[in-house]
Amino acid sequence: MVPQFLIDIWDSLSQTSIWIRIGLAFILLVVLIGLSFWQKTKLESKFFWSFLRGTIQVVLFGSILGLIFGVRKIWMLYLILFFMCLFAGFTNARSYPYPRMFLIGFFAITSSSLVIMTLVMFSYVVPGFDGIIPNETGTIAGLTGEYVIPIGSMVISFAMRVSGIAVERAKSDIIKSKGSIEAALALGDSPYRAIQNILRDCYRAGLTPTINRVASLGIVTIPGLMAGMIIGGIPPVEAAIYQIVIFLMLLSASFITSIITNILFTRQFFTEKQQFDINFLNKIAKMENQTTRTLLKERWKKWREKIKRKKNSVETTE
Amino acid sequence: MNTTKGSFSSLFSLEDVCFDIEGKVILSKINVAIDTSGITGIIGPSGSGKSTFLRLLNKLISPTQGIVKFKGSDIADMKSQELRKEIGMVLQRPFLFKGTVKSNLLYGPKIWNIDYLDSELVKLLDTVSLEADFLERDIEGLSGGEQQRVSLARSLANQPIVLLLDEPTTALDIVSEEIIENTLKQLASEGIKIIIVTHSLEQTKRLTEQLLFLKEGLMIEKTTSKDFFERYNDQEIHSFFKNKEGK
Repeated sequence: MVPQFLIDIWDSLSQTSIWIRIGLAFILLVVLIGLSFWQKTKLESKFFWSFLRGTIQVVLFGSILGLIFGVRKIWMLYLILFFMCLFAGFTNARSYPYPRMFLIGFFAITSSSLVIMTLVMFSYVVPGFDGIIPNETGTIAGLTGEYVIPIGSMVISFAMRVSGIAVERAKSDIIKSKGSIEAALALGDSPYRAIQNILRDCYRAGLTPTINRVASLGIVTIPGLMAGMIIGGIPPVEAAIYQIVIFLMLLSASFITSIITNILFTRQFFTEKQQFDINFLNKIAKMENQTTRTLLKERWKKWREKIKRKKNSVETTE
Repeated sequence: MNTTKGSFSSLFSLEDVCFDIEGKVILSKINVAIDTSGITGIIGPSGSGKSTFLRLLNKLISPTQGIVKFKGSDIADMKSQELRKEIGMVLQRPFLFKGTVKSNLLYGPKIWNIDYLDSELVKLLDTVSLEADFLERDIEGLSGGEQQRVSLARSLANQPIVLLLDEPTTALDIVSEEIIENTLKQLASEGIKIIIVTHSLEQTKRLTEQLLFLKEGLMIEKTTSKDFFERYNDQEIHSFFKNKEGK
């Protein structure tokens, strides 16, 4: 028996219009890669693989969305959220491949997102309130994947993105300001205080775009969630308030995740004796040099060399 | 070779100190006692481990092997922050913090809850030959020499008993260099122990009374400045200063 979601995928893929859309998307991707080559950002392979991976994931996810949205068991909802956090930690570690980044990212994203989501999910316990996530029955059974999963995904993905920006910024600023930090340590300051200004700038860099988005709400941006709710028949005022609550959740989760991530990440730069950890600095410097974002061109070269080697070895054995 | 084993009466003593990074030896088996009366210079060619030696003294780095003692106690057992309050350090570049000269001067005292009146800060500026009106100036507008003098005053604000200086005048003009040298002489005469890393033989002659000569991570000589410059002629000294690459 073929599962329903596979039948749905097949039905969608058999439509001509979907292939036209894929073609158009592919043209845009080629343009992006071209721009990246032009500007020497070395993001070509990242564009390609991210979009390929993202497309496969979202198609599969979209297909099983119906199943997930129907989930009503609280442990199942937590398990799905946990899995999303695991994947977010993995994605962050791939993008920022620094020591212990997976564990740090995973821990930070999971702890902040799950706390925020728990508060949101169980907000229906406030008397006379049906909860931030609509819960008609007013019991645990009233929590469904239909609301919990999309909101959870927004919270987790924001936390992942903002904490990633903060870590990258912290890393480069600490390396750049090594002299000033050492000057502060030499005056008797603690490493945490010596990098406090750097951390402050990291949080600002990560959170400012979202704050700006909130500030321009309704004039420059109409968020997808709010638009969807209005289209779905929810009164605009209700949808707008809902959107504000969502933004606050996103900002809180992002901020908490950034703080946890940066505290755990930046601790590695220093020893217990309040010194720079030279081994860690060297490790980071080496990682910087071995640029993980290999150009597509380089990958193509390597692939061709591999094929050549294989051919040669076959010829020799013959 | 004229190295000296450390003793408990020394200000600093290093016993069998080695330092290496990922297998690369920076300092090897250093045994020396430093009793700073006057100014002690650390000299040697580039890459001889002078700055590393200095950083070991205020625990900005720890030896891979061996013991560094300060006033007879192993600094590994001392709290880094408290040790650094007693042993101030001026780096090659000033590395001032964003803000005014005043906020820079008060950076250390705030950590240690040392209260300063503005008049006392002005006195501190006077020690490094800066006028009182510098106090409220933003560090962005200062010249390199002025910044380095603020950096020196910032270290002094912690009221250290020892001052370590890592080539503090390398990037400065002659006038600023002279001012800093005069300040250091004045501080030494007031009882502050000074240890300075320098690559300038002229500065070594002008400033130091004792000197430690390092080469390729080894302590080659510990002697008085007078003795060193009397024993060797310029040609010999310049040959000492050639490193492996002949630079």
